[in-house]
Amino acid sequence: MNSRGPVIYIVDDDVSVCRALSLLLKSHGFKVQTFTRAAEFLASKHPKVLSCLVLDIRLPNINGFALQEAMAKQGIFTPIIFITGHGDIPMSVKAMKAGAIDFLPKPFTEKKLLNAIAQAISKSKAQNKKQAEITKIKRRIKTLSLRELEVFRLVAKGMLSKQIAQKRGTVLQTIKVHRGRVMQKMQAKTVTELIHFAQKAGITSF
Amino acid sequence: MKKKTKKPIAKKITRNGKRVLLERLVQQQSDELKVKNGQLRNGVEKQARSEEQIHIRTKAMESTADGIFIIDAQNQDFPIIYTNQSFQKMTGFAKSEILGRNYFLLYGVGVDPRIVSEIKHTMRKGKSFHGEMLNFQKSGKKYWNLLRIAPVRDSRGAITHYVGIQTDVTLMREKEIEIDEQREELLHVTRVGKLAEFVSSLAHEISQPLTAILSYAQAAQRMLSDREPELQKILSYIINDDQRASEVIKRLRSLLKKSIPESKPLNINALINEVVELIATDAAVRKSVIKTELDVNLPLVRGDRIQLQQVLLNLISNSFDAMENGQDSREILIRTMCKDAYTIMVAVKDSGCGIPAQNIPKLFTHFFTSKPDGLGMGLSISRSIIELHGGRLDVENNSDSGATFYFTIPVDIKDV
Repeated sequence: MNSRGPVIYIVDDDVSVCRALSLLLKSHGFKVQTFTRAAEFLASKHPKVLSCLVLDIRLPNINGFALQEAMAKQGIFTPIIFITGHGDIPMSVKAMKAGAIDFLPKPFTEKKLLNAIAQAISKSKAQNKKQAEITKIKRRIKTLSLRELEVFRLVAKGMLSKQIAQKRGTVLQTIKVHRGRVMQKMQAKTVTELIHFAQKAGITSF
Repeated sequence: MKKKTKKPIAKKITRNGKRVLLERLVQQQSDELKVKNGQLRNGVEKQARSEEQIHIRTKAMESTADGIFIIDAQNQDFPIIYTNQSFQKMTGFAKSEILGRNYFLLYGVGVDPRIVSEIKHTMRKGKSFHGEMLNFQKSGKKYWNLLRIAPVRDSRGAITHYVGIQTDVTLMREKEIEIDEQREELLHVTRVGKLAEFVSSLAHEISQPLTAILSYAQAAQRMLSDREPELQKILSYIINDDQRASEVIKRLRSLLKKSIPESKPLNINALINEVVELIATDAAVRKSVIKTELDVNLPLVRGDRIQLQQVLLNLISNSFDAMENGQDSREILIRTMCKDAYTIMVAVKDSGCGIPAQNIPKLFTHFFTSKPDGLGMGLSISRSIIELHGGRLDVENNSDSGATFYFTIPVDIKDV
């Protein structure tokens, strides 16, 4: 299996729609996996490859919107292209607001689908890059000692070394040493970069 | 006066030696006179009293808001001999134009002649008439008249007069007409809604295979690449016709988009009361009672009044159907409550046959029905309306008998 090529997931309760879309996308060289239920998709494996989900809105039990929510909760960042036989405007607005790539009323042409997929894949790339970076930062954070982690947080909050020293009741020199080690372990060249790392890893929020 | 003139005569007779006798006679006569005088005085007082009573009665008749008239039954022309002010106001005629005139001549030309002949017939038979009719004022302005006419008989039982009372019930009538119109409007919207939902689900059903056909054909084209030009051509025909069919669907959809639901702040309790009023007649016909337990402290919700009424009407009429064959108490209970700070819940509970467990999952899908003449659209439309409002519509069987449908609806944000 070519592990580099993007994977297209299709969730539609109509077996024939699944099969037809699968044939079409395979003919364009994509790897395709089809599901007729949202729960099946959720239960499947989600390897960190470039991917895109072509999702029908009307599905039994868990519908397309509910799946979109569930994915966000479970941290599945695969970009979504909604497809529907009930193309109405309020629905499409709702889908787009929730971060969908596109909303295609059925039946749609090959061209429209491929355009949307191309867009989704490039978003997936950016998404994967971002995720990889976050993973990298989090891995570095794990190497920090408790004291270093605290200094990291306070620096990320915008406090100066002097203020941190005052707050901790230690001398400035100690804080400077901790801070230097944080910069080194986090592989940050500047304080600004360090703060960016903190934001990406979501550790400034407390 | 008479007493004084008689005294000198008595004196003369005394001189004739018959004084005692005469004095007695005079005394007797003067006593009689006293009694008569007293009777006279009583009579005058009695007359004054009865005049006062007549005055009070006349005043009462003049000050009532009902129009009152009296017809002379012994005159062939049936002339009006008395009317009160309200009658004049109601008909728009002056007293001088009314008195002595035939009552029916005041009706105007627009009055239904069948009612007029019915009134005349009833009067001729010496019976009382009671009925509602459309009348016209002198100016031609319409008013609804609740008319009662009764015969007045003398001691021998002969009809001497007719007394009539008429009440202007235009406002009540208009209210009834308004309710009828609302009901009509709702029925119309329901019909249009059913059609729209039907077309929409038809479009959905058809768009599924069209999507598959289109994708199959495009996949096949791609697999053939530049081989088999004849097959390629056929595939392109298939693709063209698929797109032609989908254009038809698109046009149908754009037709349906015109009915955009309103979104206004609504008092759900008031809305329920309106629906209960609208369906009161049906409830009576179906021998069912509709009760409400409405939480008075509910915040406003936001939505489309007609659509939400449609949902309620649908749930209530389903309940009627469910209770059709049950003989004992046919009762529908509508309750409202706060589910949480952001959600209101409305429950419609009936004492009907309940829903077989195997039907519950299919209940809200298009075309599913358990009624012989049902379309299977009502509940699916209701659910999509509630979902469009951001709520949920669901059902549970009651522990005793019947089922409860309940829906939630978000509170108007401005009212939180």
